[in-house]
Amino acid sequence: MTENLTYPDVVSLAVPFFIAAILIEFIWIRISGKGGRYETRDAVTSLVMGAGNVASGIAMGFIAWAFFMVLWEMTPLDLGNSWWIVLLCFVLDDLRYYWVHRFGHRIRWVWASHVNHHSSQHYNLTTALRQTWTYTFTFMMVVRAPLILLGFHPAMVLFCGGLNLIYQFWIHTEAIGRMPRWFEAIMNTPSHHRAHHGRNPRYLDCNYAGVFIIWDKMFGTFVPEQEDEKVDYGLVHNLGTFNPLRVAFHEWVGIFQDMSQRGLTLRERIMYAVAPPGWSHDGSRDGSAGIKEKHLRQHPEKRGTPGFR
Amino acid sequence: MPLTVLLPLVVFGIAGIAILLHRSGLTAPRRFQDIADAEAAWLREFPDMRPLETHIDRKNQNAVIRTERGGGLVWCIGADTVARPLEGFAVLETENGLDIKFDDFSAPRAELSLSETDRLYWKTLLDPS
Repeated sequence: MTENLTYPDVVSLAVPFFIAAILIEFIWIRISGKGGRYETRDAVTSLVMGAGNVASGIAMGFIAWAFFMVLWEMTPLDLGNSWWIVLLCFVLDDLRYYWVHRFGHRIRWVWASHVNHHSSQHYNLTTALRQTWTYTFTFMMVVRAPLILLGFHPAMVLFCGGLNLIYQFWIHTEAIGRMPRWFEAIMNTPSHHRAHHGRNPRYLDCNYAGVFIIWDKMFGTFVPEQEDEKVDYGLVHNLGTFNPLRVAFHEWVGIFQDMSQRGLTLRERIMYAVAPPGWSHDGSRDGSAGIKEKHLRQHPEKRGTPGFR
Repeated sequence: MPLTVLLPLVVFGIAGIAILLHRSGLTAPRRFQDIADAEAAWLREFPDMRPLETHIDRKNQNAVIRTERGGGLVWCIGADTVARPLEGFAVLETENGLDIKFDDFSAPRAELSLSETDRLYWKTLLDPS
């Protein structure tokens, strides 16, 4: 059995690259006068969220690691660590990412962690680093269980997850328009991911891919960025704060407040945690489906176009 | 990467980028150009609550919106805007105008810049009951 397998902590090693790339993107925007926009407090909040994400990984990463090692002890399978196994692990971990990301938009408990990544009204390379502090509490590490049980070593799985995260850094930019057609067809790109960050009704709940956009095409969630509909970044109801603590915890507070309302049934309390964001016991709020439907009532000509089935 | 390297890299990286952006003039707050601009910002978040009447404060950073379904506040934050219906909030008088404290963890406060004579009128706008 593969024992004591170690890989470099690629996300930490990429920090100097992240800083350099942000500076290059910023200088490009200043020189060219196009390709996105920056605002000081927004960018600092994103960077502090990124630093907090690394810190929470150091502080709480042992929980996921212990869980993975228990699974590794249980499984009789060991695929070894040859290069093609690493490659296969990377592809399957990206499929894992697709589903975790989709759950992150469709289950409020997971959205509470992921929402902060969408909370900037800007879309630049600092937005990529606006990451969660509370991922451990979502229990989404269980979605990696099949990979470990199939015989991929936990260290390899986490290494591939780190590479996945690094890949996604460069797609958080408006400075790159479209990549070559073959690349756009297979890979997640700035264009595809811009659509994912859109708060326009058309772009809600689409393009969950990490590295390979093919998952969205396979599972019916792909919406191409439209030339005639500029992406409006942020949340349906944007945050009125740059305080990182509020950014990190606001949706958790919202869940608690909703679940603890008087007069709810047990089912309604649970639904406030596990139903899609926007669910309410009295129908007073709109989820993404309701928002799209209301938008179509105002713009019936859009029915049947991408993002509006 | 050892923490002794990572920590200074992160701290100085964030500080350096913050200084660069600030010195580039990117901390300047957004202001509404006119009522239409404020109403567009409101409709961006509440497209089915059409404004009937809109008032902007003297710094052009906050606007009270009246709609058929109640009131709302839209205000500038950084280079952008945010909007909330006027539900669950308290109004406090300050030296510069009024402070709106929302019962909302994601948007706790808006500061309205108003002359002393405007404050009473704005209080009635905010809470016509």
